[in-house]
Amino acid sequence: MIAVELSGIWKRFPGVIANSNINLIVEQASVHAIVGENGAGKSTLMKILYGMQKPDEGTIKVNGTTTVFSSPSDSIAAGIGMVHQHFMLADNLTVLENVILGSEPKRGLSIDFTKASNRIKEISDSYSLGLNPDDLVSELGVGDRQRVEILKVLYRGARILILDEPTAVLVPHEVDELFEALRGLKSEGITVMFISHKLDEVLAIADEITVIRKGTTVTTLNTKTQKVTAEELATLMVGSELPTPETRGSTVTNRVVLAVKNLRVESGQVKPHVDDVSFDIHAGEILGIAGVEGNGQSELVEALMGTKLSTGTIFLNGVDATNWSTRQKREAGVAYIPEDRSRQGLLLEAPLWENRMLGHQSQSPNSNGFLLTPKAAKADTQRIISEYDVRTPGLDVLASALSGGNQQKFIVGREMSGEPKLLIASHPTRGVDVGAQAAIWDHLRDARARGLAVLLISADLDELIGMSDSIKVLLRGRFVADADPKSVTPQELGNAMTGAKAVV
Amino acid sequence: MTGMISIARGNYSRRVKLFVILVSALALLSFVRIWSDVFDLTSRGTISAAIGLAVPIGLAGLGGLWSERSGVVNIGLDGMMILGTFGAGWLGWQHGPWMGLLGACLFGAAGALVFGLATITFGVDQIIAGTAMNILGVGFAQFFANLAFSKVPGGGETQSPSIPALPAFSVEQISDPLVAIHDKNIFIVSDLAGILSGFFYRLSILTILAATLFILTSYVLWRTSFGLRLRSVGENPKAADSLGVNVYRYKYIAVTMSGVLAGLGGAFLAIAASGVYREGQVAGRGFIGLATMIFGNWRPGGTAIGAGIFGYIDALQLRDSDGTSLRAMVLLGALILIGLAILAIKKNKYQTVFGLGLAGAVLVSWFLMTTALPKEVALVAPYLATLLVLAFASQRLRPPAADGVPYRKGEDR
Repeated sequence: MIAVELSGIWKRFPGVIANSNINLIVEQASVHAIVGENGAGKSTLMKILYGMQKPDEGTIKVNGTTTVFSSPSDSIAAGIGMVHQHFMLADNLTVLENVILGSEPKRGLSIDFTKASNRIKEISDSYSLGLNPDDLVSELGVGDRQRVEILKVLYRGARILILDEPTAVLVPHEVDELFEALRGLKSEGITVMFISHKLDEVLAIADEITVIRKGTTVTTLNTKTQKVTAEELATLMVGSELPTPETRGSTVTNRVVLAVKNLRVESGQVKPHVDDVSFDIHAGEILGIAGVEGNGQSELVEALMGTKLSTGTIFLNGVDATNWSTRQKREAGVAYIPEDRSRQGLLLEAPLWENRMLGHQSQSPNSNGFLLTPKAAKADTQRIISEYDVRTPGLDVLASALSGGNQQKFIVGREMSGEPKLLIASHPTRGVDVGAQAAIWDHLRDARARGLAVLLISADLDELIGMSDSIKVLLRGRFVADADPKSVTPQELGNAMTGAKAVV
Repeated sequence: MTGMISIARGNYSRRVKLFVILVSALALLSFVRIWSDVFDLTSRGTISAAIGLAVPIGLAGLGGLWSERSGVVNIGLDGMMILGTFGAGWLGWQHGPWMGLLGACLFGAAGALVFGLATITFGVDQIIAGTAMNILGVGFAQFFANLAFSKVPGGGETQSPSIPALPAFSVEQISDPLVAIHDKNIFIVSDLAGILSGFFYRLSILTILAATLFILTSYVLWRTSFGLRLRSVGENPKAADSLGVNVYRYKYIAVTMSGVLAGLGGAFLAIAASGVYREGQVAGRGFIGLATMIFGNWRPGGTAIGAGIFGYIDALQLRDSDGTSLRAMVLLGALILIGLAILAIKKNKYQTVFGLGLAGAVLVSWFLMTTALPKEVALVAPYLATLLVLAFASQRLRPPAADGVPYRKGEDR
């Protein structure tokens, strides 16, 4: 049985061809992955299938019937549901309210809450989603929210699910839970279309993989009948070898750039967010922090940047910087890649060149000490765009017009400007494709060779192990273990992160 | 079924908490009445006046609630209320109070539609559009009042001829015995009786209508699919849109409803409270209504309580010829602050304890050192109380998540 068949799909936007001659066949009750670089046209294709955009040419067949979607409600009626990368949930409403919104069961004039609640529990139980209809969405974690999104489309009777980069927002154990749920869906006869650029995840879950490059389908591989490796996929995707995060030789010096003693961030509860943490980072050293998200990483970083209250001492290049403002730290050469690029890293409604100034607004080339110098800033923005391969129509476009991966590249480029002394990087390659990831790693390595000290926080354990000169494991606000990146495996590190076992 | 049970349990503990708060508030009031020896604090007259003063504010607050639940901050409520008073005056003196009521609703709705066109369709900043609405409301009413009323008998440039009254109800069989209990001066019992007696005394039909509207709003917004969709538009319009909810339509309905309710608030002022349209009679009540809605955490029950508190203090202030009632309010305020300080001790927030305790002590000594409050203080008392209550309440408040954010369909965020 073929669930979805796309043939000869073309989609053109002014100046770009997003999809050209896309051909795709998805078997029923299978997990079909669609992989490609940022901007390869995956999202456009899915929007076409979900009825959010109309193709210029080509036909869509769902369960053998040719269909034309003019809005998402058409595709919902055809049994297609979409789980968006950015969740479409109202935080202050309950799971039940979010799920039934738009197709509420009624009794008289009122909503039939009992019926809705029973139905949600029924779906949640039969696909083991583990959701309680009366919980407020704001109290749920990211993994749970994603399952609410899945429940939402199942509630509407979807038999074909589209998941747009579902793992981008998840930590490793949440990814495992999601895959477990997807396998359950598959066994119940539901078809899953899974968009991603994370190759090991795709290999772990997909039955079939379609590769898209520059807007067109390159090939479809079957993981059951063919032996497919990540290297092969990467070659198909970008036409080059899969890069690995290797630092190649130590550049660690004995000059301490950042010395932190007894840093503590209170949480208002008994257990502080960051509990008496001390560490040094030397010039030319990358210190990796491993930990499951929510164990104090964000607070540690914010305390170091001076955006969160903390106690303890911070020395920068031997100078007491404990009471410095964020601006003073910035001017002293501290670069910062925040964990949430759209909330902390960019002004989405401002043009790129203005975003270039952010955080460096008092320094050259953005300012002459008194007035801003937009001309020089624009020239420097152009440099970042070309050096970091930021795909953008120009430097006057709003930051919100860039895709997530390109926003991230732009932020990295901005922060690496002006020879920083210390880089605090939270998930520097989150959401970027393999090609861009390799480029960011290269930039980090070069800067490290020139004496940059880096505090690296990442949920990608391969990145952490490959890039770091030493690794510390953060658990409930404390360093619980040190790991040697030369010998530690991702599994050992993962165990230490959950407190299961200490590594040496 | 466990879900429904847990809902019920949540409601149960909340109800117990509410009951405890109500009883302690009553005890406190009773205690203050006896200590300060101001009998009028819980008399029928005071409560009846308080209800009358609370209704227009409550209606404005309810209007704000509708609008803001759909994600539109409506600071133009005051202007819509003014339009309501004019509509009530203009149609009311010619065609009777019922037509006046209809006129007020229509004028309020018309103002709201203009405001909606600017904010919803054109995405104008809601604060700016609201301010414009307020200026427009004042100007429109002044200009047309001059045209409509200056040449008719009994009218003037700034005032309409008198509007026939709407029916009001008293249930003497209940109210009078309760007054008798109030007069016996028993701790708590008398106060409860006095307060209840006010609810059965000279109750305008508009007050009953307002109460019904509060209940209806709770039902419609929280129990029906229409209400869920409306609230979802205020929480996450993009999510609502993705599920086929017509965001613009719900915003328009909500804002129009907001204008109708604000207009009704104006009608109460013109028809029930004074019997004429008079320039400036709204006197910023739209803003106070907005404040009570915020105090009420964007919920009908809380809004009603907020309006009640303001109406009560305003009533005391109006009836207080010698300044003794408000002196008693100082004591009440002091006791509340001290009570909050004691609660804060449990949570180990010693800075808060110190601050509240000090403020409480200052108020107590003020109470002890004076016999009456000067009239100037009395006039600002209701506003001061609003400000203080909001300042304390603001920490636990949660507005709709997309409140005040213009929605533009199809724009990626």
